[in-house]
Amino acid sequence: MKHLKPLNKKATLVDQAVENGQMDEVVAMQVVVGCAATFDPGWEVDPFGSVAALCAPMEADLYGCSDPCWWPAQVPDTVNTYPDWNAKAASANNDWRALQSVFPKK
Amino acid sequence: MRRMNGTQRRRRRAGLLTGGLAGTLLVGGAAWAAEPPRPDEGNAKQIIAERCSTCHERQADGSLHRIDHVRKTPEGWTMTLFRMNQIHSANLSPEDSRALVAYLSARQGLAPEEAAPFRYILERQTAVVETPITDGDLSVMCARCHSVARVGLQRRDADEWKRLANFHLGQFPSIEYSALGRDRKWWEIASTQTPDILGQKFPFKTKEWADWQQAAKPNLAGVWAVTGHRPGLGRYGGTATVAAERDGYSVRYDLTDAGGKPLTGTGKALVYTGFEWRGTTTLGGQEVREVFAASKDGQSLSGRWFLPEHDEVGASVAAVRTGTAPTILGFSQEHVKTGANARVTVWGSGLDGGPVDFGPGVTVKTLSQSATTAVVEVAAAANAAPGARTVSVGKAKGGGFTVYAALDSVVVEPAFTIARVGGNGGTTAPVSAQFEAIGYLNGPDGKPGTADDVRVGALPAAWTLEPFNEAAKLMEDVKFAGTIAPSGLFAPALAGPNPQRVFSTNNIGDLKVVATVKDGAATLTGDGRLISTVQRWNDPPIR
Repeated sequence: MKHLKPLNKKATLVDQAVENGQMDEVVAMQVVVGCAATFDPGWEVDPFGSVAALCAPMEADLYGCSDPCWWPAQVPDTVNTYPDWNAKAASANNDWRALQSVFPKK
Repeated sequence: MRRMNGTQRRRRRAGLLTGGLAGTLLVGGAAWAAEPPRPDEGNAKQIIAERCSTCHERQADGSLHRIDHVRKTPEGWTMTLFRMNQIHSANLSPEDSRALVAYLSARQGLAPEEAAPFRYILERQTAVVETPITDGDLSVMCARCHSVARVGLQRRDADEWKRLANFHLGQFPSIEYSALGRDRKWWEIASTQTPDILGQKFPFKTKEWADWQQAAKPNLAGVWAVTGHRPGLGRYGGTATVAAERDGYSVRYDLTDAGGKPLTGTGKALVYTGFEWRGTTTLGGQEVREVFAASKDGQSLSGRWFLPEHDEVGASVAAVRTGTAPTILGFSQEHVKTGANARVTVWGSGLDGGPVDFGPGVTVKTLSQSATTAVVEVAAAANAAPGARTVSVGKAKGGGFTVYAALDSVVVEPAFTIARVGGNGGTTAPVSAQFEAIGYLNGPDGKPGTADDVRVGALPAAWTLEPFNEAAKLMEDVKFAGTIAPSGLFAPALAGPNPQRVFSTNNIGDLKVVATVKDGAATLTGDGRLISTVQRWNDPPIR
């Protein structure tokens, strides 16, 4: 991180985590099952096992997950699998209520 | 006689019945009557031959590409068929899918021992912290997106695991980022090391599966003694009467809850792979789904039931066949305080064979007693020895009951779980979290939190939420993330961006859940951790 300077609080936290040797904790995967992923930044939990460094509100960047197929296990990817998932919701921030969970419960 | 498979046997039986020989069959057919019903495989073979094989080519050895080289659970096959419809327009009707799941689960399922370590994911248990698979860093390659259980509930050889890696790359082209492709040669690992390790750990051919295919499958008809635990509501117990139907079972539950209130219902179940019980029951007026495993000998059942739309709400289940070895399965209340009385229901099997005994210092007045339920009034003397008791009812014995004078510690269960925002006009339901305050005695070593601690059981508590860390305090997670009821039930706040929060962030939070228990003049506290997070938009049966 020598050549990178954090510009905001979250980036500063990441910087500190690297300096404090906390990045290994990411690999430990000590999260509750079903709560996937602890990577950058994580769908349900952030790299530190909490929520403060999540990309939130989730709706602000939701299509940044679905379009490039970033979290296909949690967010339907519109690249290949569910191309029309968000067809009725042009703006996730405004139209998130129109989005459906893709696997039927019944 | 030539060996017949289940379908042939049913056809022959049907033929005999239409031939007017039903009486002969029923009188002389004891062995056939004991044959367990199997889910209807319909025209599964024909569907595979005519429709699946248009893409899945037949190989030189006669097997179908991919299909014949994978073993999965019923839920795993359900997800596969869902994907075939979704991605490949297989156009399978619900009837087609049901027949295929029955057929494939019987032909290429997991043996009881193979599924056992990962049943929590099938049962939709809510608060499991998985053990990472460290071999070849499998938890990094697979479990950054999926549960470890999703991997562990599949059986393939290395070449077939490699095809799964190829599928991931083709279907999800940006996977290299998820798989840490910026930091390592991820594809080299995923396409060589990972399939080899998976092929060794979870191979297609195993002794367990070969043995289970040959084994006689249990017929689960009969009367069962049942008990279980509903987090937040306490234990329940009674009987389940199971009867064989054409392709599954019907079941009637005659249960009571911890307070003695009836909890009854009826349902139907299919049993896949000879032991995977999947039921739908209306219990206490609510529809519930059942995911149980029968033991190989058909003498016990265990698992969980849950609400279809809220699988976080449910109960554990343990059942044993009545009329076998007397046993105690559980108690409506797991403790009595010295100098106090309690009405306790004992649930189990063979409980009508003798007096009820809670050990020295505890007097017992039996109020009612049947083969599966004994209701007693217990009174613990002021000087009764605190500690775990073995309770007996005639020849039936069971642990899990404690006499205590003063609590030593309180533990919050679950220690770590998640909830999810929901509702607010959106399509995903909120996911709640139920906590319980469990009292403990220190045990012989006099220290809390050690292996010899004695569990006293769930106790009434006052519940509060605190920020788990500095960031949670700064973001006012306690104010926004949700509320906890006196019952220990956490209800998450509404979904959607919240303009009242910094960055309009969601009502997510990292919370410390604190239970305060009054025990005489003493006050004890315990805490757990709750991450209330965002909803899933992709929520399959195996996460």
